[in-house]
Amino acid sequence: MLTRRLLTVLALTSLFAPAATFAQSVSAKPVEAGSKSGAASKSGDVIKIVSSLPRTGSANAQTTSMVNGIKMAITEVGGAIGAQKIVYEDWDDASPQRGNWDPAVEAQNADKAVGDAAVMAYIGTYNSGAAKISMPKLNAAGIVMVSPANTAPSLTKEGFGEANEPAVYRPAGKINYFRVVPTDDVQGAVAADYAKELGAKKVFVLNDREVYGKGVAGVFEKRAKENGLEIVGVEGIDPKASNYKSLVTKMKQAGADLVYFGGTTQTNAGQLAKDISSGGLRAKLIVPDGCYEKAFIEAAGNRALEGRCFITFGGVEPKALTGKGKDFYENYKKTYGGEPEGYAVYGYEAAKVVIAAMQRLYEAGKPITRASVLEEVGRTKDFTGALGTWSFDANGDTTNRTMSVNTVKSGEFVSVKVVN
Amino acid sequence: MSAGSSRVALFSRGQVFLLGGLALVPLLDFVLPSVQLSAQMRTVIVFAILGLGLNIVVGWTGLLNLGIGAFMAIGAYAFGIATCEIYPFQIGFWPGILLAGAVGALAGFLLGAPTLRLRGDYLAIVTLGFGEIVQDALKNLEPITKGTQGINPLPTPWLPLPELFGTVSNETPVRWFYLYLAILAVVVYLARNLEFSRLGRQLFAVREDELAARCMAIEPDKAKLKAFAMGAALAAMAGAMFASLLSSTGEPANYDFQVSILALCIVIVGGIGSITGVLVGAIVMVGLSNVVLPNLTQALQRNGIGSTGSVFSSPDNYKYLIFGLALVLMMRYRPDGIIHSRKAVRK
Amino acid sequence: MTDTEVFLQQVIYGLSNGMIIALVALGYTMVYGIVELINFAHGDVFTLGGFLALTIVGGLGAAAVLDMNTLGETSNWMLLFGLVVGAGLFCGGLNVAIDKVVYKPLRRAPKLTQLVAAIGVSFILVNIALFWGGVPMDALGGGNAAAAPKDFPEILEGTNLLGEESNVVLRLEDVAIFAITVPLMIGLTLFVKKTRLGRGMRATAQNPIAAKLMGIDTDRVISATFLIGGFLGGAASVMWSVYNNTISFQMGFRAGMDAFTAAVLGGIGSMPGAMLGGILIGLIRAMSDQYIETQWTNVVVFGVLILILVFRPSGLLGLKQREKV
Repeated sequence: MLTRRLLTVLALTSLFAPAATFAQSVSAKPVEAGSKSGAASKSGDVIKIVSSLPRTGSANAQTTSMVNGIKMAITEVGGAIGAQKIVYEDWDDASPQRGNWDPAVEAQNADKAVGDAAVMAYIGTYNSGAAKISMPKLNAAGIVMVSPANTAPSLTKEGFGEANEPAVYRPAGKINYFRVVPTDDVQGAVAADYAKELGAKKVFVLNDREVYGKGVAGVFEKRAKENGLEIVGVEGIDPKASNYKSLVTKMKQAGADLVYFGGTTQTNAGQLAKDISSGGLRAKLIVPDGCYEKAFIEAAGNRALEGRCFITFGGVEPKALTGKGKDFYENYKKTYGGEPEGYAVYGYEAAKVVIAAMQRLYEAGKPITRASVLEEVGRTKDFTGALGTWSFDANGDTTNRTMSVNTVKSGEFVSVKVVN
Repeated sequence: MSAGSSRVALFSRGQVFLLGGLALVPLLDFVLPSVQLSAQMRTVIVFAILGLGLNIVVGWTGLLNLGIGAFMAIGAYAFGIATCEIYPFQIGFWPGILLAGAVGALAGFLLGAPTLRLRGDYLAIVTLGFGEIVQDALKNLEPITKGTQGINPLPTPWLPLPELFGTVSNETPVRWFYLYLAILAVVVYLARNLEFSRLGRQLFAVREDELAARCMAIEPDKAKLKAFAMGAALAAMAGAMFASLLSSTGEPANYDFQVSILALCIVIVGGIGSITGVLVGAIVMVGLSNVVLPNLTQALQRNGIGSTGSVFSSPDNYKYLIFGLALVLMMRYRPDGIIHSRKAVRK
Repeated sequence: MTDTEVFLQQVIYGLSNGMIIALVALGYTMVYGIVELINFAHGDVFTLGGFLALTIVGGLGAAAVLDMNTLGETSNWMLLFGLVVGAGLFCGGLNVAIDKVVYKPLRRAPKLTQLVAAIGVSFILVNIALFWGGVPMDALGGGNAAAAPKDFPEILEGTNLLGEESNVVLRLEDVAIFAITVPLMIGLTLFVKKTRLGRGMRATAQNPIAAKLMGIDTDRVISATFLIGGFLGGAASVMWSVYNNTISFQMGFRAGMDAFTAAVLGGIGSMPGAMLGGILIGLIRAMSDQYIETQWTNVVVFGVLILILVFRPSGLLGLKQREKV
């Protein structure tokens, strides 16, 4: 009895560690192959860029598009900086039992990046809440982190969150976190200005109670008040509810003529739009860039959106991109055979800005290390990429503040206004 | 593990073997620096403690608790509020962990006192509902809990031990791992003492037959309440350790129903009622979802099998399937769990 | 809107949502009554029913369905009826198959083992739903974004039956929910009360061993229970899809949780209890959304549940079980 039980234990425990390590050893092959061509067989011969995005669950469509963008950026430089091969790894920060980003996995990803000396850059995260977990870890290790999607202002700017933000994310005292998307304090204000333009008088503000949604709704509310609009109600919704018909009735009673929802497709924006339409609430709907994806139109259906819904987005729609952005758009369609999602270009730009910094180092004959890459990315100034020409400001945010207001016509996003 | 010898031993042989095996994990880091297994195994330890807490309630007392995640959340937030620099308390890691345990026990007591007389599945839904209530309350009480923002930074465990491996600092994953392993060893020791104590035997008696237990002058309600509070205390401590690991409480949704389900799977897959079983269960379940699956999909990717847009071609999208199949197959072929406790119920 | 209008409106929504929950809850409660298993996978069987319905609608051509002029109203009702039967049979069959493959071999295993097996099945079904969403089909969004919620076309005309000027909205969907769920519930009650198989079910629920000794084929009874429970879940999923116009691979989670709560609230194992519980939960949700705050609705629902159970430990209509001696 005893020996049998012990054997089972032995077998099982020994099963898991090797399973994980076997995976690693299989994967180590291409790395070795790459290093043989170099002079020495150090890990420094391979530059690893990793991304940490939720790949399991409902954000999958957006993140696939972003990963495609990252891959394109790497392919464009031939997958190498000089003789050094770029190895890209697409890490998942979601887990099956959560179906969404998982803090334990995000923390693991950050630890893994820190522990792997070849990792030079960390692209991510998608959710602002996830960034809060990996930022201090990567900061302490001096790894550059570029987010293609986080928009919560408190990650980089003082006065938006707690008193200890954003210093708490910078234990090393230096900035290592950059983002290529405009933050929500810009976006919420653009939405509130547009609400006024639409002639709204009574506004009902909803949010999904997430870091992102609540943040952007808060900015909207403040600006809307400044614009002289009356806020007739503020509520947090339950993103898992089957419908919002009762809530729509409440908004009807409040006499709302415009609804702002700080949330995403994943937090049920589509259902909300539908219930506004079917519940007979004659009000416009404004949603932030978390809904700027085809999945939102598919979820809500054209009939609930057309002529009613406006979506703000940091940047312009992919097909309206100009210059390098246009090249990106054409290239993306050619490579992946479909229209890119709104965020694809941010994945591309995040990778591009990192690679450009590495190339500058290579051209200057400097070694490519975590410290040098971090410093060089921070120096990014007047960078001409797919999003136009922009720089990182003192907080690590993009100076690009181009926002667009879009609506939906016959199942497609149509830009109605661009704000610079 | 004959009854005679185990009563004197500090740990059973299986437990010694498992804890010792875990202690060797950091050696793998030298072989495979890119996996960082010891860093990842810290999560396994946290869930093992959560599982041990749930085991007292489900395994030994026979009360189905579907809301253990709520106590984990309470522990994490208590720890956060007591230790974070944005609050005036800042009592530090060790007092914080103990406080979290105490708050968890209190919460367990408050929920348990009026509801523990409910029969099995009614109690299950009460605990499930409690889990939802705690989650939403933490989300909505923003002035206190910071809503979904998360309370950060949180302290890391610290012990005035001589520096291991030369210049390794206190915050390196390896040291952290050993500290957590030490906490786990203490919890295993305590749980083992409980198992063989008078109260432990009372719990088994209540589980087997409440009426008969009553006849033996055991007060089932009191015994149940004690078990429930102890389980909640351990879960809360696990929550505090989890938060410390992330240096943030994260958001309330991180401790939702899915966590409770994972904990239940740990206990049952490992072998209900067995401490060794819970340890194995944590290694298997958390190892599967947080260590093996991510590493496997990454390995596939590096060999050219990655996401290409279609839902079918991305290994990530098979995670639910693998996780579910593993559960079904394990239950089908080892219905009593991997380690079968000789004290487990067979109804 | 006047206060009365608001209240009336919330009652309509509460009842409509509640009837759907009740239908799902019946599936939980019936299975529990017979085999004492909390069938965690029930919510995900429900999800697959929604996906089947959307696939059928898409196969028929969503445009044709939407075009009232070509089809006319009667054929839309026919379509709805067909979907209910189709998805119902599919979910019923699926439920029976799951029971045969997974639960049956574990019938004698500890209860919790069955519960974890059910959780495992639930994960598998979620993954199947995710893959189903990736099928390249127009109705499913071309399969590009498998995980995204899917739009379910409006099968019934979306006009307000009380007139376009009325503040209170009552749509055909609300009526359809009653038109489908009420007969189903009456039929089920009659079936269980009057037929031989129904008697067998009641007997097995009371005492499986005694039932077997009396010559009841309990295996057949169990299969029938899973079939009927699944059928009701499938029917509910069609009503849910038609009512909310959205389906997603995770929709079974909330529906399942609400339904399970409803089943326990009413007294698990009791069919009238499940119906009452479902309707109550629907109404509480609507009222809490209106008169408290949406963000506290879950707290209110579960708070009421706990309070009721503290005072009525076997649920509202559950039999008071004597402790086994």
